[in-house]
Amino acid sequence: MSATIVARRPGMPRSLWLGLTLLILLVWSFSGLEIDGGRVAALPKTMARMFGLFFPPDVEYGRQSVVPAILESIQIAWFGTLVGAALSLPLGLLASANLFPRATRLVKPLLAAVRAVPELLLAIYFVPVVGLGAFAGTLAIGLHSIGTLGKLTADVVESMDQRPIEAVAASGGGALSVLRFAVLPQVLPEIVALWLFRFEISLRASAVLGVVGAGGIGGVLLNTLRYREFARAGAVVVLTVIVVLAIDAVSGSIRERLVRE
Amino acid sequence: MSPRPEAPARTRRHLLTAAAVLFVLGLTVWSANGIGVSLVELFSNLGRMGRLIDDSFPPAWSFWPRLIKPLLETLQIAIIGTIFGSILALPLAILAARTVSPSRPLYWLNRNIMNVLRTMPDLFWAMLFASAVGFGPFAGALALTVFTVAVVSKLTSESIESIDMKLTEAVRASGGNWLETVFFSVLPQALPQYVSYVLYALELNVRASTVLGLVGAGGIGMVLNTQRTTFQYDRVTMIVLFVFLVVMLIEQLSAAARRRLV
Repeated sequence: MSATIVARRPGMPRSLWLGLTLLILLVWSFSGLEIDGGRVAALPKTMARMFGLFFPPDVEYGRQSVVPAILESIQIAWFGTLVGAALSLPLGLLASANLFPRATRLVKPLLAAVRAVPELLLAIYFVPVVGLGAFAGTLAIGLHSIGTLGKLTADVVESMDQRPIEAVAASGGGALSVLRFAVLPQVLPEIVALWLFRFEISLRASAVLGVVGAGGIGGVLLNTLRYREFARAGAVVVLTVIVVLAIDAVSGSIRERLVRE
Repeated sequence: MSPRPEAPARTRRHLLTAAAVLFVLGLTVWSANGIGVSLVELFSNLGRMGRLIDDSFPPAWSFWPRLIKPLLETLQIAIIGTIFGSILALPLAILAARTVSPSRPLYWLNRNIMNVLRTMPDLFWAMLFASAVGFGPFAGALALTVFTVAVVSKLTSESIESIDMKLTEAVRASGGNWLETVFFSVLPQALPQYVSYVLYALELNVRASTVLGLVGAGGIGMVLNTQRTTFQYDRVTMIVLFVFLVVMLIEQLSAAARRRLV
């Protein structure tokens, strides 16, 4: 009974059309990837077997090799984000339409272009220049952070209370005084919160940079899995989850306090 | 020595600021040391940068016919991950919404499992699945399914928590059981936002699916990895350009669809 009521709703043809599109896309995708039912059915068993091999994780390997690599990921994320943040602040201000109506037209597309390239692809280009290792990853994280943080900074500045700008300008302040006394005091807490948030994202990004040889924990996981050392891979997964959860919690509570004040 | 009453509070504030600055500085010095940051190295390698740019440009335009099939595979991975992940995410989102979840322990368990799932980067999942089911697009599709479940269920559960509960009460008052409140109040209210999250996940997945191949999980990233390891950077650049064209196109389409829906 209830089904007939739903079926007669005027919106139905559109959702029917949507469903049909989804079905076609799904069939196309399945046939393209040659996924058969047997592999899907065997999936729970395969996964259970692998996760069974993860436990107990190799504690000794964790202490000797995983912890240093995770620390390196943290260092990459921290330093990269910091450099990116420092460079993004002037660029973000220049990209704010309310402060620099002319510069914004040049700087905004520039930031968008930088943002469009993921860290991993940037790292592919930095590795041949500075060599394998953490420095290449740091440059990749830093460059990408400029793009994302610059845009977010401009968003914050454009949506702030505009009246203090007028007040400083009216009492004879130049562009620098406007920045120092009207803009920065108002937006800085929010921008620092954005930096911390970006650090959390950078940490996830830096965790996979090792896949292309740019340092950190990703390369360790790739190697342990390649040699099918599952107890070691287990140590990588468990430690990474713990560290990321802990850093998210700390960073999140600092951010909350910053924005509340 | 000023006897102003606010002096102690101010001193404490200054101490706190000083401690924070010291902490940030310490963390930064520690990081720079660990990474081996060196400007000398960066600038002495500018010559290598010139050579890389020489190698990368112009892109190998004639390489594009060999990219079509891997690119379609990438899109197929993203589509399967998005659709299956979204289907699985809907019931999980209902269980993870505090206001409508039928049981406290289930709500708590679900929330925490999802939080743990979200801490893992998508490429970690791809690596794990690639070694469990073998290299290829199946591993990539599984990785994106898990990633989608984590993202969409979190966002949708937040939307469900902010729906109008009066409607739910009305359904219950007219004799509806829990399932009926879900079907006649929760879902109709949360559905438009859910669909927009699904489209958002599709955008994320299309982006993510292009690099899955770096760890052997199928798609155009596998071609990228071969060209990268053999240092054929003119081809690498061609792949990167090609990927961006397609990613931008899909994002524009998806953004237009989202604007129309919400």
